[in-house]
Amino acid sequence: MNLYRPPSLTTRCRDWMGQQWAVIGGVLVVVAIIVVAHRSAEVFRVTTIEEPGWEAFSRAHAVAEFGDDGYFVRAVQHGYNLFFYTEKYAWRFTRKRAGDGHNSCASCHTVEQLAYAFVNSDREDPALQRRVSFEERVMRCYAGQMDGFVPTRYDPAVRDLRILARMVARHLNLGEGALRDET
Amino acid sequence: MLSNLFRIKWVRISTIITLLAGFYFAAVVAHQQRAAQREQPVLLTDNCRAKLSRYGLEGGEYYRSPYRRDPGTMVPVRRGYSVADIRAIERGCVIIDDLQGEQAQASIERWNATRFVRGQQTSCDHCHQGVGDKQGADGRPQIGSLSLGASWVMADMYDRFTGLLLPFELRQMQCFINSSNGFKPNIADDLIRDVTAYSRFLSAALDLRIGQRYPEQGIDEVTVSQTLKRGDDYVRGEALYRQKCARCHGAQGQGLRQDGRTLVPAVAGPDAFNLQSRNNFSFVSTILPGFICRNMPLGEEGSLEPQQCRDIAFFVSNLPRPAGDKQGPLRAAWQQLMMHGMPPLVGLMSELTHGTGAP
Ligand code: HEC
Ligand code: HEC
Ligand code: HEC
Repeated sequence: MNLYRPPSLTTRCRDWMGQQWAVIGGVLVVVAIIVVAHRSAEVFRVTTIEEPGWEAFSRAHAVAEFGDDGYFVRAVQHGYNLFFYTEKYAWRFTRKRAGDGHNSCASCHTVEQLAYAFVNSDREDPALQRRVSFEERVMRCYAGQMDGFVPTRYDPAVRDLRILARMVARHLNLGEGALRDET
Repeated sequence: MLSNLFRIKWVRISTIITLLAGFYFAAVVAHQQRAAQREQPVLLTDNCRAKLSRYGLEGGEYYRSPYRRDPGTMVPVRRGYSVADIRAIERGCVIIDDLQGEQAQASIERWNATRFVRGQQTSCDHCHQGVGDKQGADGRPQIGSLSLGASWVMADMYDRFTGLLLPFELRQMQCFINSSNGFKPNIADDLIRDVTAYSRFLSAALDLRIGQRYPEQGIDEVTVSQTLKRGDDYVRGEALYRQKCARCHGAQGQGLRQDGRTLVPAVAGPDAFNLQSRNNFSFVSTILPGFICRNMPLGEEGSLEPQQCRDIAFFVSNLPRPAGDKQGPLRAAWQQLMMHGMPPLVGLMSELTHGTGAP
């Protein structure tokens, strides 16, 4: 009589899973990351939601001079959304939520300030003892003032604020190093 | 013996740790070297000394440029520069003027820029002439001269070739990759940041305003519709090149070097822009003609007709040059063969037929 009974399919399956758990777990993690990354694909969306105030803002700043639509104008609009509704559009980079105080860039700055900061950036900061770019300023405010995290330099959450600042600087006809009190 | 030693676990582990620590300390040393370099006074090239002193770059709370765009108007007072800012601007200038460090004492003075460029000759100033701020005989900025100051105020706009909003840093990187046939420096590399500082200073000195398009920015492109539309001609181009360009750039576009200095840059061969550069006629057909019409022959700018510029550009772009970042290894190997094989062959041929060897 043959004493050996081949293991059942379920046992074999379980054994195999037992040996491969690291691989399976790894694959699942990768799949999860891909799913999550695709869920937040709206970050790179080409159309922009119109938030309250945009209409008046864009008229006041003659944004249409750059064309009715197009990459640049959409980036400006996204910059506007980031600046005034930071908790909604840059939620990944701030812990501030809708009910919190100082939950948008606009709580502490005006867009004009942003434009002057832009044309005065890439200068040495005496406190930090090194030259600081505009992008780094924005990153510092996300992490510090907005109690959040540092985006990369290339992130639309940084890029579109720079583009907003450019647009306002152009509207104010600023040049490099323009001083605030100069008129 | 050695392989037996590596069987011992702690030997393996400590080897790995030593290697990692080695990399770490190498990085720390490189970092400190850079930090120390930032504190060093900058050895200016003649062009940069002239340019920066003309625009009155000095330290202080305020900066006022002596330049006037229109007589009667004064450039407004701007925020001044600290010592560190001035050094960054000066370094940016010498990078543009002398990317290869031909006039530097050590490679670190150019942030080791040659690591990012394959050729021995390319320098930004060859195309971005006048150290990125070329002026005509009347002292006004030269139209279509790839001005860096005017480029800074127009950065971040839509770029029709890539379909992207290109920040100024990325525009520089593109020039490293294709116009200088090299590699991309990091966006936060001093090499890029100092050039940005210099370009920004130029825009302050020239009183350029953010978002304005100035005629000296980019290229004054020469389109087919500006010609009689008889088609671009390689043979006409070759004849014109012989007549107008060869005395400086050489019969086969190899440029002229003397005592380790590039006197005239190569427009073909291993030291020239590559196939993926916007300068390459078969990639973008309006840019090189625009460059030639506005900026060449040096000293006689503006003497060529649009059709002539297109013909010459057609010819120049067909001279062998390196493959770009999109062409793949087979094409790259073929271009290498052509670049190194063709010039001696062509030289031999003209020796036999005319008795004159090409340089
Ligand atoms: C709680 C208030 C607060 C919020 C919210 C805030 N900031 Fe700031 N920001 C500051 C302060 C204070 C400074 C100056 C001190 C410093 O440099 O940290 C500053 C400095 C800056 C500067 C540099 C200004 C200059 O003149 O150089 C920029 C640019 C900037 N912030 C952008 C932003 C952006 C963009 C946001 C939104 C993502 C933001 N800030 C949100 C308070 C804030
Ligand atoms: C072989 C010629 C050539 C060389 C060398 C070269 N460039 Fe360029 N550069 C160009 C051309 C052509 C353009 C694109 C003009 C256009 O698209 O209208 C350009 C564009 C640029 C721009 C954007 C200009 C604008 O107005 O948008 C920057 C910035 C730039 N180059 C920086 C550099 C730097 C830094 C170097 C040196 C590492 C360099 N270039 C070397 C030919 C060159
Ligand atoms: C008087 C000498 C001279 C003549 C003639 C001349 N060039 Fe140049 N060319 C130069 C020099 C020098 C530079 C580099 C400019 C600089 O560094 O400021 C240059 C730069 C260039 C460049 C950009 C550099 C590069 O790497 O691609 C091109 C393209 C070019 N010339 C094409 C031509 C063409 C085409 C003609 C004929 C119509 C011509 N040149 C005639 C001296 C000359």
